[in-house]
Amino acid sequence: MKIFRFLFVIFIFYFLFFISSKNINAQQVSLSLSPPLIETVIKPGKSILVAYTLVNYADPVILSTKVLPFQPKNNFGQIKIKEEFDGPIRFSLDNADFNLGQEFFLKTNDRQQLLLRIRVPEGAPEGDYYYTLLAETQPPTAQAEKTTSFAKATIGSNILITVTESGKVDIKPKIVLFEVLPRYRFSFFGKKINFFDSTDLIPLVLVVENKGKNLIKPEGQIILKGNFGEKAKFDIVSQNILSQSQRLITATPSAEIDCSTLSNIKACQSPISLVIHGFFLGFYQLSTSLIFGENSPQISASTSFFAFPLKIFVGLVIVLAIAVIIIKRFTTEE
Amino acid sequence: MTKIKSFLILLFIIMTCSLLTFKSVLAINMESPLFKIQYGEIGIAGGNKASDNYSLSDTVGQTAAGQFNSTGYIVKAGFQYLHSIIPFRFSISNTNINFGTLIANTPQTATTVLTVSFGAAGQYQVTAIEEGKLRTLNEANNIPDTQCDGGANTCSESLAKPWTSSSGYGFGYNMSGNDVPTDFVDSTYFRPFPDRTENESPAVVMSSTNVGKNRQATMTFKVNISPIQPAGKYQTIINFVATPSF
Repeated sequence: MKIFRFLFVIFIFYFLFFISSKNINAQQVSLSLSPPLIETVIKPGKSILVAYTLVNYADPVILSTKVLPFQPKNNFGQIKIKEEFDGPIRFSLDNADFNLGQEFFLKTNDRQQLLLRIRVPEGAPEGDYYYTLLAETQPPTAQAEKTTSFAKATIGSNILITVTESGKVDIKPKIVLFEVLPRYRFSFFGKKINFFDSTDLIPLVLVVENKGKNLIKPEGQIILKGNFGEKAKFDIVSQNILSQSQRLITATPSAEIDCSTLSNIKACQSPISLVIHGFFLGFYQLSTSLIFGENSPQISASTSFFAFPLKIFVGLVIVLAIAVIIIKRFTTEE
Repeated sequence: MTKIKSFLILLFIIMTCSLLTFKSVLAINMESPLFKIQYGEIGIAGGNKASDNYSLSDTVGQTAAGQFNSTGYIVKAGFQYLHSIIPFRFSISNTNINFGTLIANTPQTATTVLTVSFGAAGQYQVTAIEEGKLRTLNEANNIPDTQCDGGANTCSESLAKPWTSSSGYGFGYNMSGNDVPTDFVDSTYFRPFPDRTENESPAVVMSSTNVGKNRQATMTFKVNISPIQPAGKYQTIINFVATPSF
């Protein structure tokens, strides 16, 4: 009976131990920050409050926040965050228990609301100011047992601020590139002629420059017209083009390309705006018209290409040549 | 009596197990003595709906999305504004990349997986920079950044080259998976990390123009030391910064 009781107690201990034990994994970080982008137009002397939500999906973590300015790095929408703060805009957190630069603790599956106060002082110069709110983990300070590289995770959300007294914005767009990336290109009396095989994918590049003081957002379409009256329309994806910068504009893709097996085609060698699929024959014209909001100037551009079934033609020639050789050999043998 | 005892023991076990398996319930505090949050977000449901005549993106319960106008400012924020139901999320599978005991001319590797989920404007980037070289805590010795195999195969912070030679010393990384730079041709191609202490700019290690969920890339760290490398525990911090595009 005593043995039975002893076994029973052991069983309870084991049972409770297995229920309360958890899997031990490598230290993980998983954070989300929303909204991912804020665009605001503010008069000098005004301030706004934006509520961000920071969620920790992995191990408990110590975090801190900061705001740094950024500038566009290239025309693909990438950014370069500056090392030091500059500009007239003032940022602070309205949270009761911590401010920017101060550490706070976030448990697993916990969320923290960040109440970011954005203040534009009186007399701040009109124009655009671009910043990123960053939430960063604090790497361990203890010495590791072995040679170790610690990973520090930082997640950001961009803030685009237009400061204007009157509400008017400076819109000066220009299309700097609207071209197909052809398989063959010839020059004829100074004019470029683009050639594709009929079965080729047609990669297209559209780059727009913003020469104004404020960010712009293009809206419009890319239209493909064939010589047999066929027509296809592709909507422009409305993306911000920051002041004094260029951006590759993308259009609603007709399909995703799997570049893992097609790395030799031009559509996979550099970023493009649109890839058009189909069987093309003859002369085609591509055009685009862009607007940038109400009462903005409309800008347009066009390009063209020829498509012929070169691969099919070459195949037929080879087949015919082989057939002629075989027929000739049979006739000479007879 | 024994039946009552047995019943009580059983009851005790059930209650203990129940308490241990309970999970905490989270609630949203809308007010405190110091502040009041007017727009707490309680997302209940959401998604994209469409028919022949309309197309709608909604988030039931989300109160802070869209464009807000007032005297002196306009704010555009939230999921509807960006046509997104996937928030921007960044994960690192392992933040302690342990190389173990280093042996001269014997390369050591370790990996971590970077994951980005994003369905908003679509474009994003993840950059990486080292906060100084792999060095001992007293900063007396360091492991240099790799130059890969050297000669024609000398790599840089922006160009990966093969690193297969056991006499190629240093610290570097390889990328494989979704949205990684195209110069990482295969698993033998490496780059050194940019070094913040040398005023170098962070390197983009993942970027995409595609709307995506769970874009994953594996970063393989590699260290190879020379026979004259002083003994010690070397450490550094790699700072990964994930940002959505504008």
